Amino acid sequence: MITVVQPGLYTTVQDRGRFGFYGVGFPPSGSMDQYSSAVANILVGNNPDAAVLETTFLGPTLEFEQDANVALTGASVDITLDGISIPLWTSVSVKKGQVLAFGGAIAGVRNYLAITGGINVKPMMGSRSTYVASHLGGYEGRVLKPGDRLEILQDSEPKEVRVGCEIPEDLRVTPRAHQEIRIVSGLCHYLLDPQSQELLISKPFTISTEANRTGYRLKGDQLSFVERRQPFGAGSDPSNVVNLGYPVGSLQAPSGLELICLMRDAVTGGGYATLATVISVDLDILSQMKFPETVSFESVSLETALQLRSERAQRLRNIAELVNSIA
Amino acid sequence: MSTYTQFVDGSQASFGGDEFIFVEVATDMDLEATLRVIALTDAVSSAEISGVTDICPAHVSYMVRIDPDIRDPREVLPILEEIHERKAQESKLVIESRIIEMPILYQDPWSHDVLMRFRDRHQDPNASDLEYCARINGFASVDEFISAHSSRLHIATFVAFMPGNAECYQLVPKDLQLEAPKYVRPRTDTPDRALGFGGAFSTIYPVQGAGGFQLLGRCAVPVYEAKQPFGPFETNAVLPKGGDIFKYRPIDMGEYEEIRQQVEAGTYKYRIGVLEFDLSRFREDPIGYPLTLAEALP
Amino acid sequence: MSDSQEILAPFPGIFYRRTDPGSDPLVELGQEIAVGDVIALVEVMKMFHEVQSTIAGTVLEFCVEDGDAIAMGQALAKIATKL
Repeated sequence: MITVVQPGLYTTVQDRGRFGFYGVGFPPSGSMDQYSSAVANILVGNNPDAAVLETTFLGPTLEFEQDANVALTGASVDITLDGISIPLWTSVSVKKGQVLAFGGAIAGVRNYLAITGGINVKPMMGSRSTYVASHLGGYEGRVLKPGDRLEILQDSEPKEVRVGCEIPEDLRVTPRAHQEIRIVSGLCHYLLDPQSQELLISKPFTISTEANRTGYRLKGDQLSFVERRQPFGAGSDPSNVVNLGYPVGSLQAPSGLELICLMRDAVTGGGYATLATVISVDLDILSQMKFPETVSFESVSLETALQLRSERAQRLRNIAELVNSIA
Repeated sequence: MSTYTQFVDGSQASFGGDEFIFVEVATDMDLEATLRVIALTDAVSSAEISGVTDICPAHVSYMVRIDPDIRDPREVLPILEEIHERKAQESKLVIESRIIEMPILYQDPWSHDVLMRFRDRHQDPNASDLEYCARINGFASVDEFISAHSSRLHIATFVAFMPGNAECYQLVPKDLQLEAPKYVRPRTDTPDRALGFGGAFSTIYPVQGAGGFQLLGRCAVPVYEAKQPFGPFETNAVLPKGGDIFKYRPIDMGEYEEIRQQVEAGTYKYRIGVLEFDLSRFREDPIGYPLTLAEALP
Repeated sequence: MSDSQEILAPFPGIFYRRTDPGSDPLVELGQEIAVGDVIALVEVMKMFHEVQSTIAGTVLEFCVEDGDAIAMGQALAKIATKL
């Protein structure tokens, strides 16, 4: 058991996400930075589906009631164990009675805390991920509160992992204040007028203070839509369409005023035209960004998106090999 | 590869990043397009395409979500194209569906309390939502409007946005559709299970929260239940599926309270019938055909 | 003799000096504050979080306006500390 002394700003239980229920309104949820989350699990010998804690800006203070190996990845942050700093991207041994405390994130937004065995909450519809809006999954369907007690799943065949195993610098996440974010054009992109199609991929956008697991609002030049007869049932604004499904990572621009990138807890559909989709690898990067950092969108082909995704998978396989060889 | 792929039936497909394919069957709201979407997504589901994790029908478009680590989405597109070609050759448009009875307390006190708190956000601050809906649709009284709304069947054409939400189109010809605008500015509160009406669509709010639909009443039974799953919720926290047909049965306060007790005890049994919906029969007799559908209720 | 130190934003968000628009500021310029005193609120992810002073002293200046968007680590207030 682990007792939550202080919950941090917005700490939830997450895993790879929920599959199979998008069609009835459940977004996938799951770790926003899937790469960092996966690395944390590898470092403690967990399988890729194990549940971790995801923090936001300021993580929790946790008291361990049992021995455990843990690993922390993601944002740059000071983390102490009984007051002594411990390294990130490294497997660490925690003894019964010790207290793990997060400082505020210095660069980046989210940290992932993996614990050998994984956090044991009841899987809901195939996943332990928290979906706060529908009070589903995770720890009682909500963010952690003081006094919550987290149970650790006992793995029947735990993988031996050497404590102190460290991820090389070039395989860690490096938060930056400006990033190129790659998108695939499609969906209702044809509804943007040609100047706005160009503007989307040539001008920078600034992340606003409204940027969370549901969506990232971005400020930049206004976008405009082609003039057309509004379809029956669509609504009168040129950015309106007859309600359709929203992919995770899709961009929309209600009334052209600001850009919204839908994240892993977003609504699954609605009445705004979707313009392009951030590739899955770059959703990890965007998830570590915050106000007032900036992005530039770069249009890439699906081939490139898939290539980058398989490179990420290869990096994770390399990390697993590295960790296992040290063990 | 160009951004858009045109299918033989006029649908347009594109990729939503590396995990989604989006297919726009039509751009205008249209019952035939909706039924085609349901028939197409049923066929995609039956095809059991490896790597496809989610199939998401909307009013006149749909999405499939693919796990690219299992299957290259570029291989899935031609499979969808082939399904569209096959379906375009079928003259009959028939979908497998369910009819579900929803007991509704129209003009309930809880929705009324909430809607009176938000009159400053409404088109007509001096009337209730029901009075407004009755007037703009040409009814002399609220009772006549309730009778029109509850006597027609409603088919779920958009099961997305949030879990349990199912926006339903009326199974009547276009010129008989009841319509109402959404609030001028959305409310910040709506009771859970409130029956909302906006555009030509009715929905039951799955949970308490913000909303912009006109409030007509409150359903005695949930459409979303994650905490204490009973009956249909044991395998899925969500009741409605795309293509489900709803019968809103007006009830009084006595029956409402009785049903609430059954729901809380987990003993309530939803009245659900299985049926086929045939578009051509609906076209031939849009008044009489829905009456035969209601007979499928147990 | 006195020196001044800054209170920094713990996270990005919207900065408020009042608990609600009609009320007085949580602290005024020139006011003496202790470590742990709430000097402002930051709205982040639709929640309000108290900014507690990390410094004891006198409020010299607020570096941001009520309702401004603030970045993490941005200076919020200058506090004069007694040496």
